[in-house]
Formats: sequence, C-alpha cells, structure tokens
Amino acid sequence: MTTSDPKRRVKIKDMGDVITGVVLFGFALVLLFYLVPNYINEPPILQNPMMSPQWLPRIVGWLILLFSILLIFQGLLVSGPSEEDERMIEKGSPRRFFMMVVALVIYVALFESMGAVFCGILATLVLFVAHPVRTWWVYSMAFLFPIVVAFLFVEVMNVPLPMMPFWL
Amino acid sequence: MEIFSEVIQLFFSVENFLAIAVGVVIGVVVGSIPGLTATMAVALALPFTFSMQPIAAILLLVGIYKGGMYGGSITAILIRTPGSPASACTLLDGYPMAQQGHAKKALKAALYSSVIADFISNIALIFFAAYLAKIALNFGAPEFFWLICFSLTIIISLASGSMIKGLMAALLGILLSMVGLDDVFGSQRLTFGSYNLMDSISFIPLLIGLFAIPEIIEFYRKKAVPHIKAKASGAGLAFSELKRCMKSIVRGSLIGVVIGAIPGTGATAAAFISYSDARRRSPNKANFGKGEVEGVAAAEAGNNGVAGATMIPLLSLGIPGDVITAIILGAFMVHGLTPGPLMFQENLSLIYALFMGIMLSSVILLVVGNVAIKYFSLIADIPKPVLFPIVLMFCVYGAYAVNNDTFDVGLMLAFGVLGYIFNRAAIPAAPFLIGFILGPMFEDNLRRSLLIGSNDLSIFVRGPITWFFIALTVGSIALAFYRFLEERRKTQDKASKTS
Repeated sequence: MTTSDPKRRVKIKDMGDVITGVVLFGFALVLLFYLVPNYINEPPILQNPMMSPQWLPRIVGWLILLFSILLIFQGLLVSGPSEEDERMIEKGSPRRFFMMVVALVIYVALFESMGAVFCGILATLVLFVAHPVRTWWVYSMAFLFPIVVAFLFVEVMNVPLPMMPFWL
Repeated sequence: MEIFSEVIQLFFSVENFLAIAVGVVIGVVVGSIPGLTATMAVALALPFTFSMQPIAAILLLVGIYKGGMYGGSITAILIRTPGSPASACTLLDGYPMAQQGHAKKALKAALYSSVIADFISNIALIFFAAYLAKIALNFGAPEFFWLICFSLTIIISLASGSMIKGLMAALLGILLSMVGLDDVFGSQRLTFGSYNLMDSISFIPLLIGLFAIPEIIEFYRKKAVPHIKAKASGAGLAFSELKRCMKSIVRGSLIGVVIGAIPGTGATAAAFISYSDARRRSPNKANFGKGEVEGVAAAEAGNNGVAGATMIPLLSLGIPGDVITAIILGAFMVHGLTPGPLMFQENLSLIYALFMGIMLSSVILLVVGNVAIKYFSLIADIPKPVLFPIVLMFCVYGAYAVNNDTFDVGLMLAFGVLGYIFNRAAIPAAPFLIGFILGPMFEDNLRRSLLIGSNDLSIFVRGPITWFFIALTVGSIALAFYRFLEERRKTQDKASKTS
C-alpha cells in the first residue's frame, strides 16, 4: 500500500520538450561559463563593453538559458499539440540504419584517399544493400552515377574532386 | 539607353536560357518526388554554380525554386503526398479529383494557376523591389540594426510550431555565425584552434547538411514503406473552368504576394489563406474538400504567388524572406555580390537582367509543367531506396567542392545529424538558417551604430525610421505571444474535450 498522493506528482506533459530544454540548459551553462571565457579572446582595452567579441555570444548564451528554462516548463505544464506526434517514427531494422552509418563513414574517411568515384560506388552499393534493392540491374546505377556525377563536377562545371585512389 | 543595351548584353546568352530551363526542369522533377524538396534541390545545386556567371547561377536557383513550388503539387494530387509543405493544401481537393478520375484536370488547374500567380508575383517584384530599395538608401546602421531585429522576430513569430523553439533555433543560428575571426578585433571566437573554422563556418555544408541529410537519415531509420505508383489520367482543364477559377487565382496570387513580401511567412500560410478565402467566396463552397477545381487553383495560386515576392526583401534590403531566398543570398555572396539597396545603384543592369530571367522562368514553367504532366509517372516511379544514395553522393560531392577539404564533408554530416535532431525535437530549421545569415549583419550594424554614435545608445532611436522598425519589432513580439497564448488555449480546450 502506498501513502503518496498520486495527484500531487508532477505529470510531464511533453517529455521531448523537457529533454530538449535540459540539453539546451546544459549547453547554455557550458557556453556561458566555459566556452565564452576560454575560447573568445577579449582585447585588453575596450571603449564600450558592447563592442567586445564576447558581448553577443554572452547575450545569446543568457537568452538560450532563459528559453531553455521556459521550454522545460512548457514540457512540464503544456501538452504538445497532436500534430507533434510526427516526432514519433516507426523504427526500421537496426541493420539498415547501421549500413547507412557505414556509408557515411566511407565518405568521410576514404573520400580523399580513395577518390570520389570509388567512394561513391562503394557507399551507393552499401546503401542499395541496406534497403535492400532487389532489382539486379539497379546495382549498375551504383557504378554509373558516381562516374557521371563526378564527370559533371570536374569536366563540365570545373569543380575539382579527388578522382583516383592515392596509389594510382 | 546605355543600361538597356547592357541588360540585353547580360541577359541574352545561351547560358542564361539554359540555366533557367534546366533549373525549372530540376525543380519540377525534384518537387514531384515525395521526400525531396525544392529547398534540398536548391542547396544541392549551389556548388554547381561556382564556375557559372552570376546571373546564370542565380537564375538556375530561381528556376529550381519555381519549378519545385509547382512540382510539389503533382504528388499531392496523384498520391496524396505533398512534395513540399506548401502543397499540403492542394491535396484537399486535388486528391479527391484524382480519385474521381480527373487527375489531369487537377494537374492542369494547378499548373495554370501556378503560372498566373508566378507572373503576378514577378510583376510585384519588379515594381516594389526598386521602390523599397530607394527608400532603403536612406537607412544607416541603426536603421538596418532594427530592420534585422524585426526580420528575426517576425520569422520566429510566424514560424510554425512552438515560439520558444523557433527563438531557440534562431539563437543557435546566430551563435554559430559568430564562429571564426572577429571582424573588428581579429580575435578568435569559438574556433578551438582549428584553421578550418577561422574563416567562419562554410555556408554550403551547413545548408546541405541541414536540409538534405536529415531526410536521408530518417529514411534509413524508419521502417520501409511500399512505393506507391502514380498515374495522371482523365480529361484536361476546359477554358470555361479556368475562367471560372480566375477570380480565385488572382485573389490567391495577391495574397501570396503580400504574404511573400513579409519575411518568414512562407508559401504554406499563403496557400491555406488563399484556399479558405476562395471557399468563403465561391458559389461552389459545398464542393470544397470533395474535389473542387477552384480549390486546387486557389491553393496553388497562393502557394506560387509567394515565389517572386519573397525576392522583394532579398533584393531591396538584403534580408532573406525564407529558407530558399536565404540560399539564393548565399549564391549572391559566393559570386561576390551583396543584395540590398546599393545593388540597385551599382549593379542595376544585373538586377534588370535578373528580372528578365525571372519573367522568362514563368513561361518555361508553363512548357515544362505540361510535359511533366504527360511523363510524370516515369519520374514519380523512381523509388527512394534508389534515389537517396544518389542524393547522398550529390551532398558529399557538393560539400567537398566548396574548399576541396573533407573537413567540409564532416561538417555537412555533423549538421545533418543536428538537422535530424531538430526534426525529432520539432525545432524548426528555418529560423536557425535565417539566424545564421542575419547574425553577422546584426552584430556588424550594432557595432557600426555604436561607432557612429560614439558609444551613445541614443543613436538607436535617432529618427522616424528607427521608431518605425522598433514599433514593428515590438508588434511582431506581441504577435508571437498572442500566437503562443492562442495555441495554449486551443490545446487546453482540446484536452478538456478529450477528458
């Protein structure tokens, strides 16, 4: 048997808002008391504090702090409109998501060393397999498109891209 | 006469014509594919414009914008999936028409009303931009400071969803814009010693990351859904039907122009206001929502009436009205141009050449739209699992091309993750981007005002123009609070009804 009165408990109306508010509150504290003093250099002589490079970041920091508190209160007290249920998604297989992450890592880690075309082919193949695409001829697109798009960038638009793997 | 010949020389080139045509085609194609938006297409096309002439580059992006606005309605009508948020209103009558076998009629009505609205909007742009720029020539730093304050507050107060989250997004955008070397003292701000960050955060990786990558992440995180095939069938739109819709189209276009000229309001609001206005006035009001062609025409007129008008604050004041014009502002900057009143003095021929291109884009939209209706099923049938890997490739190539550095690819992916978190937390990305763009202007005008006024704060209330913008800023904040309270009241009413 419990003695606590359930009516007296604060019922969170929108957990998403509370979490967002708490994260931003923490960020604002880090910004105001660590990042601004340590990573923004202030000149020794200032005619007006509003001219300081730290002034606007500080103002923004305090405003984020204030609005994050309001957001936490909003989450605690105000029910989110039903449209916000869009935030809920039906999650797919983790394998599919993991393979997308692999494709992103391929682009970031290998783009300069392996070249745009090679990375494009590899990442596109990984993403096709991730879904998976079951039409076999679609896989030829994974070879065709990176070559055509890289050609468009480099030869037609004169925008340079790393073309070949480093050992060639 | 001299200017006229300069304009002709600037505008009449194969590159410009090709840029508009290609832009409109890309816009219609991308807009008509659910999941891909005109914003995404404009962001992805930006790196392609580096080597182009400024006019051709801007016209390509404008073409994509206009094509995308129309393209969004195609899927709204055929498969009840709006290609863009602004097309959500079109499906109210468009989809029932498609179900009744009048898909082609609905598509034609959407096309003709889009083109007419676009044309009216362009005319408004040509007339009002120069006039507004002339007034803006009297602005000094304090006036611009308050104008930017007004733009920031109106964008937040009119943004959909929570006002607090809109404010938060704008503040984060302003904070991010401050990364790099300080303009006045040259001291480093939040660079963490990274050379890549000293020249501030690159605009294009941020843009691509924020608007293209979250869609890709969400697609691979969500459960796969079956691909829906679309078909445009039935008879076309008769002239008498178009004539019947004409009043609603013109009224919708004017609503679009007014709403588009105010920064931050956007096409979605214009489409819904135009639709409800048409329903209120129409003799067929009972048929609205059940497949009324006038409903489709009114929604599309409101939606497309915004396109030209959003360029008014951009060209005359240098203030982007929405996300796409913010990207177009980025394109101006990439090509060494700064939109604003001075541009009307220093680059008048370029402005007129742009106006000619923008007018031509309406004609091209008509031609491309007709072809798109005919061959649409081919475009719509590209499944997302095939499309998104290719879009990701464009994103990476585009981000890398900015500085030839993988740091930008990483930056783009980081912003992609941030954009995804924003989507999940229902934080709007548009105020973030506008904050990022207006942040440096805000600080620059604040500091210049202080320097001009010798640190005397009374410079910020120095004359009627500053008073006017202060009043507008206060008004927009009051509007934001009113909307906040109204939303709260509605939510409470709904909750009490449910309980």
